[in-house]
Amino acid sequence: MKMHTARFAYAGCLALAALACGGKAIPPPELVAARHAYEDASAGPATEYAPASLDTAKQALGEAENAWKEDPKAKEPETLTLAYIAERRALASAAMGEAAKARKDRIKLDEEYMELQAKKASMTAEELKRVRDRLQIVSQKAASSEADLKKTEAELAKERAARAEAEKKLTAAVASLAEMASVKEEARGMVITLNGAVLFTTGKYELLPIAKTKLDDVAKALQEQGFKKIVIEGHTDSRGKASDNDLLSERRAQSVKDHLVSRGLDSSKIQAVGLGASRPIDSNDTPDGRASNRRVELIVNN
Amino acid sequence: MTRQSMFVTLVALGAMQIACGGAAVPHQQMSTAQASVRAAEVGGAKEHPQAELRLKHANEKIAAAEALIKEGDNETATLRLREAEADAELALALALKEQAKKDAEQALKRIKLLMQETQS
Repeated sequence: MKMHTARFAYAGCLALAALACGGKAIPPPELVAARHAYEDASAGPATEYAPASLDTAKQALGEAENAWKEDPKAKEPETLTLAYIAERRALASAAMGEAAKARKDRIKLDEEYMELQAKKASMTAEELKRVRDRLQIVSQKAASSEADLKKTEAELAKERAARAEAEKKLTAAVASLAEMASVKEEARGMVITLNGAVLFTTGKYELLPIAKTKLDDVAKALQEQGFKKIVIEGHTDSRGKASDNDLLSERRAQSVKDHLVSRGLDSSKIQAVGLGASRPIDSNDTPDGRASNRRVELIVNN
Repeated sequence: MTRQSMFVTLVALGAMQIACGGAAVPHQQMSTAQASVRAAEVGGAKEHPQAELRLKHANEKIAAAEALIKEGDNETATLRLREAEADAELALALALKEQAKKDAEQALKRIKLLMQETQS
């Protein structure tokens, strides 16, 4: 029993001794704060971006830990100061890590900005050029189309009006000639056939006054309508000498030409030929047939 | 008092002076702490609240150290000056962090604006 009590007392003494020596002592709050600060710094960007600063914090914490372990009581003021310093070194390390990371982020963002700006600038220039080109093409096309359209419309309208007017006048002229002429569209052109009996006295080649009046209308209509060439053919029936007929038919054709030229038609575009009795259009055996064969034909080519 | 007793007394007084802060005036620590404060100020510590608070602590520690030196407690003054240096360095680090974050935020804002302009 004595032995047991003695052992208990010894154990109690050991425990007290341990407490007295600080073996179970609670670390000061400053040191605890320094440990936490260092742990936080280690878990943050300082490990990657500020390793030297983190190492300094580690050393400061080590000094504080050693000072506390060596003699918590005797070195308390120094331990507290070292812990204080260690905490601030750890906080500073964390801040340096964040600063370095922020700077790196900023550099990256600046690079992206420059890249984007350059891209935007090039895109803008390119797009602007494309848009301008497109606009230019569109505007040119629009202007061209409009001009063409206006021109075409104006020309068409003018042409239509001119044609209508010319046709009207020609129709009127031909209508007025109806009693002495007929108009036919043939492969060789528009053929206006003038009855010889109305144009000339028998055996003569001077135009009768009424024929001149009618031919004036024809000349006016032809001038307005325009033409490339007119061939005036003089024809006779088969009676009499062929040479006489040829001469007469030529002179009659020439008389018609002279009259048309006197009314302003271009002489160089008009050819007068005498074909005599070579091209009858009817029988020369009957008076009506011969009357039909005595004629002047105007072949108009547009 | 005998000669022997006087000698003992002088030795004892000398020992007490050493034990009670007989350390030299911490001129070097003072210079270092003050230089750290100036560095923090130049680094923009006064422009950021958290950094400014640490700068304030540093200045308070330096003032306390000056008072301790006047009292002759150079040892404690040294500790305050070391703490002041750590505070000043922390102030500078916080100022650099705040400035870097601000610059990064501005860079981000700028790029966002450009992207909006590009899209519009």
